[in-house]
Amino acid sequence: MTLKQTDIEALVQLFGESDWKEMHLTLGDEEMFLSKDPNAAGPATAVAAPPAPVAGPASPPDRAAPPPPSGGGVETAAAADRTGWVAIKAPNLGTFYRAPSPEADPYVTLGGQVTEETEVCLVEVMKLFTTIRAGMTGIVREIVAEDGEMVEFGATLMWIEPEV
Amino acid sequence: MSISRIFVANRGEIALRVLRTAKEMGLETVLGVSEADRDGLPAQMADRAVVLGPSQATKSYLNADLVLHAARATGCDALHPGYGFLSEKPDLARRCAEEGITFIGPRPETIEAMGDKLSAIAVARAAEVATVPGTDMIDTAGDAAGAAEELGYPVVMKASAGGGGKGMFLARSADGLASAFTRASREAEAAFGDGRLYMERFVEQARHVEVQIIGDGEGNVLHFGDRDCSVQRRYQKLIEEAPVTAMPAALQERLHDAAVRLCAHAKYRGAGTVEFLYDIAREDFYFIEVNSRIQVEHPVTEEITGVDLIRHQILAASGAGLQLTQDQIKVEGHALEARINAEDAENGFSPAPGRITGWEPPITPGIRLDSHIRPGDLVPPFYDSMVGKLITRGKTRDDAIEAMLRAIHDFRIEGIKTTLPFAARIIDHPDFRSNRITTRWLEDRVLPALETA
Repeated sequence: MTLKQTDIEALVQLFGESDWKEMHLTLGDEEMFLSKDPNAAGPATAVAAPPAPVAGPASPPDRAAPPPPSGGGVETAAAADRTGWVAIKAPNLGTFYRAPSPEADPYVTLGGQVTEETEVCLVEVMKLFTTIRAGMTGIVREIVAEDGEMVEFGATLMWIEPEV
Repeated sequence: MSISRIFVANRGEIALRVLRTAKEMGLETVLGVSEADRDGLPAQMADRAVVLGPSQATKSYLNADLVLHAARATGCDALHPGYGFLSEKPDLARRCAEEGITFIGPRPETIEAMGDKLSAIAVARAAEVATVPGTDMIDTAGDAAGAAEELGYPVVMKASAGGGGKGMFLARSADGLASAFTRASREAEAAFGDGRLYMERFVEQARHVEVQIIGDGEGNVLHFGDRDCSVQRRYQKLIEEAPVTAMPAALQERLHDAAVRLCAHAKYRGAGTVEFLYDIAREDFYFIEVNSRIQVEHPVTEEITGVDLIRHQILAASGAGLQLTQDQIKVEGHALEARINAEDAENGFSPAPGRITGWEPPITPGIRLDSHIRPGDLVPPFYDSMVGKLITRGKTRDDAIEAMLRAIHDFRIEGIKTTLPFAARIIDHPDFRSNRITTRWLEDRVLPALETA
């Protein structure tokens, strides 16, 4: 059995519309690996559950990247070794907000404890606010995006160290 | 109102095309891309590229909220929508205005009026531009006979409530008319519960001709000559050329006048195309619609006029006016465009996305390639299959044809199938060479022959 062009198209389409992060398919001696992470190393890492230590954010390295960690408003814990941390990424382009309103306290701060349902930030698109949840239990280790700044789709907003 | 930073809300070759002119004009550029296009050539060419959303167009290029947010957040004061996607959405034009962003296109009311078939026809009639001759409701077979005499045979009876070809009957002479009327009326009654009919002149042998215009929004309109886009498959144009050569010159002038009159009446702003059906047998033309955007085939017009249409489109939007007079626009030579679609022509034109392993365009001077493709690029399956447009020009139509055939021959593309070899077959066909084609030619003559070959 071989994969036809139309099969591949259909698989790519399905994968694109799914919530899956990666897909690895072996059919006889044919192999297909799909990943939504541009930094994905290939099929070998597909099995490894925790994300590899990421060298840079998912966005293009230059001007499109969110402000560097040295920026004033960015909270970070030392020059981080992020092994085992999980990035919370922007679901689309928008403006990043750390608090529900300008007067309110931020949803989370560095070192704060989160659970799956904990609201961690907002991403706003033309006055439509989307609440982002942690999606895991753990500790906020780094807040990468700057409050009130535009973030792109896939940009790392913050890093969480999951509790194992 | 002046423009300094343009947000390009499109992808592929047209994004690149707009970026090129914007840069030449000294404007800053920001491109909104989907995840699939983040590493593409347009993203590299733009001063800045921002990723709007994932690959699916509905979550990126088609999402007006994301596009507007990105344009505003990156400090853009103008937005170019390209073609397709959001380009003819009056809502985007309106919201741009609300945000203080110059929409490089017509006013929202114009887009709205042109986008609706009936209102566009009303505009045409108000500007005294001919539409396909037809009648109001016809009550009896006797009335039908009188109306048909007036319109001239052949005529087609159409169900007032109709659609999808139901209740449509053709009459070639007075003999067949009474029975066509009865059958059409009965079928319309059965299909729609409404037997009312109207009648239109039937254009058996038609060509698709169109006029490129740019208006200043104050009623001043320039035309840039015409194009012939009769080679179509399922209403998709495959080969386009300029100027029209299958029409008497005097009629061609009337065609231009009609397009200008219509757009002047609408106080059209920016670049647009007025499309007409050319009735070969009667030597007459009828208005079909206005496309209120820059079109895929605009390069053939640029090639024969030497005018950068994107530049003038931007100028018109910025309020700088037309910057040209009609007598400065001269048509010289002939240009052809072949669309390069990632499709398998021998397999029902099924999309053939994939990795382009080899891409070596011909290097002959005088050949224009509008494409965003680099060797090694992936053609994503999420969008339109067009990967580029090959444009040639010559002193005559024959010269342009020869140049195109050579260019296609010398163009090496590997890794994906494209429609270029098929384009060469069309252009080399005796009917195309002798210019005896109609809008039905490709589907009625060429494709069936291909299947039985």
